[in-house]
Amino acid sequence: MSKDISLFSLVLTLLLLLIPLAFNYYLRLDIGRKTVIAASRMFLQLFLIGFFLKYIFELNLVWLNLLWLAVMLVVSTVSVVNSCSLQLKIFGCPVLLSVGFPVILVLFYFNFFIIRLGNIFDAKYLIAIGGMLLGNLLNGNIVGLNNFLNNVRKTEKKYLANLALGADKREALLADLRESIRASINPTIASMATMGLVSLPGMMTGQILGGTSPAVAVKYQMAIMIAIFVTRILSIFIALMMTLRVGFDEFDLLRKDIFRRC
Amino acid sequence: MIELKNIRLGFKDKLIFNNFNYIIRKGDKILLNGPSGTGKTTFFRLLLGFSRPEEGEIFFDQRKLEINTVREIRRRIGYLSQEAEIPPGKASEVIKIIFNYKWNREIKMNEEKLFFLLDYFSLGQDILPKDIESLSGGERQRLLLIILLLLERDIYLLDEPTSALDEELKHKVKDYFLNIPETVLVISHDKTWEDESGMKILNWAETGEE
Repeated sequence: MSKDISLFSLVLTLLLLLIPLAFNYYLRLDIGRKTVIAASRMFLQLFLIGFFLKYIFELNLVWLNLLWLAVMLVVSTVSVVNSCSLQLKIFGCPVLLSVGFPVILVLFYFNFFIIRLGNIFDAKYLIAIGGMLLGNLLNGNIVGLNNFLNNVRKTEKKYLANLALGADKREALLADLRESIRASINPTIASMATMGLVSLPGMMTGQILGGTSPAVAVKYQMAIMIAIFVTRILSIFIALMMTLRVGFDEFDLLRKDIFRRC
Repeated sequence: MIELKNIRLGFKDKLIFNNFNYIIRKGDKILLNGPSGTGKTTFFRLLLGFSRPEEGEIFFDQRKLEINTVREIRRRIGYLSQEAEIPPGKASEVIKIIFNYKWNREIKMNEEKLFFLLDYFSLGQDILPKDIESLSGGERQRLLLIILLLLERDIYLLDEPTSALDEELKHKVKDYFLNIPETVLVISHDKTWEDESGMKILNWAETGEE
């Protein structure tokens, strides 16, 4: 087991925050408020989560675990929709599908076939692995969707010219779709390629600190990286296909009302 | 025949079309004349279904432009935008891609016509292996005009089709499009299009802001 961090040590961690705040002051970065809010949120959220998870892991009830997973899915969905400045009313369900389907599919494959768990709804695996998949896919979805929507808005004339040349919606957007999928999964490919050399990934570090032997930890890491890669590409693909469906009107024009006014 | 009935469309606080009515007959050659920023390009966008009027209707041969007809109607239109947008890639490949687009698959690409037009518009066949991005504005305009003609559309909407061409080529483009049986609408500030009969002139400032 890892050594516990005492409350006094946590205060020492807070002291470290003075460094970014000093930068903020001298360089006038205008991120002071943001930093303080973000750090406070992190502390509060993690304390609460630590508290909840302790009970969830102890109780380890299938329905409670699944409920927790559902909450994580919804929070991820809202986060993707907000980060892309989209209307939740229009994009909520499509994004939930793009987040939920790949995560559930890969998660159960992972727990059932790869780890061969007796109980595939076991809290530790369901919530911890699910969380890792979600955290990664969140990033990929935000990058990919933003990339796509910005491109389409910026090059609308090209898109319309293609429609006029006889392309259907998908043909006219093919180049943009490809680019967005690439933008979304490239970071994962790059991090797979440098794994172990540049950084010891969080999961491995965690397992090693938790007392697992490095030989086992690396195998988990391999499996989780592939799982992340697969969920990410599945998710951005579904998200883009759904965007083609709900983001364009009956005349194949990009709907302006899907964006939130800032 | 294209009929625009009681069209109303505005942007922000500026009304571009108010109770606008106009009829375009088959085979008409029309020059849209008027200062920039008065909605000439918007007029093309309306016909293509790229802008939708707040009020009023547009009919192509009695068929209303709406959800069920818009794709079919777009397929009848050859549109040259001001920027002469062509998908990227090698010219010959791009032509193939365009003929493979969903709404063009039934159209047979007429190679003889391609070579004839390349020659007529002084491009020559050696443009085919070139990259679209490496073409000059004038070359792109002519290549796109050729592609539109190969797609055998019924209606041509040409937004500044000769802006990057020299005098001789301007006349060639004009002569060609005035002598085909299809409907042709042109937006141009080039005097070339004005100085002869054979074209109806739609004077914008008067018509658009009625």
